[in-house]
Amino acid sequence: MRLPAGVILAAFAAALTGCKVSPPGKIERATVTFVKHHIFIGNKSQKNPLEPNAATWADGKEAFSHYCVACHGMDGQNTGVPFADHISPPIPSLTSDEVQRYSDGQLKEILDNGIWPSGMPGSKGTLSDDELWAIVVFIRHLPPAGSQGIPEMYNH
Amino acid sequence: MKRNETLMGALAAGLITIGFPGHVVKAQGAPRQVEVTAKRFAYAPGEITLKKGQPVVLIIKSEDVAHGLRFRELNLNAKVDKGGSAQLSFIPDKTGDFVGHCSVFCGSGHGAMSLTLHVVE
Ligand SMILES: [Cu+2]
Repeated sequence: MRLPAGVILAAFAAALTGCKVSPPGKIERATVTFVKHHIFIGNKSQKNPLEPNAATWADGKEAFSHYCVACHGMDGQNTGVPFADHISPPIPSLTSDEVQRYSDGQLKEILDNGIWPSGMPGSKGTLSDDELWAIVVFIRHLPPAGSQGIPEMYNH
Repeated sequence: MKRNETLMGALAAGLITIGFPGHVVKAQGAPRQVEVTAKRFAYAPGEITLKKGQPVVLIIKSEDVAHGLRFRELNLNAKVDKGGSAQLSFIPDKTGDFVGHCSVFCGSGHGAMSLTLHVVE
């Protein structure tokens, strides 16, 4: 797991340079994903203090609906989000491997502080720790794609 | 939910009366009332010290939008309408610090709205 940071950063820089001339290829994408998972997103080992039960799931769904749905849709799978595919990088489905492979602690870290270089903003202060951990529970058990309708704000 | 609480209350009262005469003395008397104001994005006061076993009523008043106050560990949750008030009545049964958060989304500082209860012997 422990590759020298320099090597990885160099690879990452190369991947980024590549992005400028063409859409990211498979290797570049894999490199970026690897770097995010292993270097930039810390807090890997923190455990979710909340039990993953129906009550915390419902809390997570509620908290998710205030803020996250604008970009991720009600289902966490971009349903009804008009720009999901048109921004760079595109908004990943939260059911994707790329997202689900993060540990609970890493997901919390991303919710707190956002993720660079995507447009994902941090929610620390906007949502409480309790709500953010509940959202982690919700992300682990997302409802079927399209089952939740589309966010209110795109409903006109 | 309401019915459950009433049932639990009755059950608890019954238990206390039958089983724990010592607690009856401690739990009697008018509950202590503490007024708390909620305003984006803080409660005032932000910390309250309570005595274990002494009944308390938190009277939460909103000075602006709708807010809430929830102590997950204590299984307590109140919602306050815009400009309105709500109450949380309970008897703290364990010592320690308990942090409550706003449970109704109220804007950009919602997640930082917290109130700490210090429950002492
Ligand atoms: Cu609030």
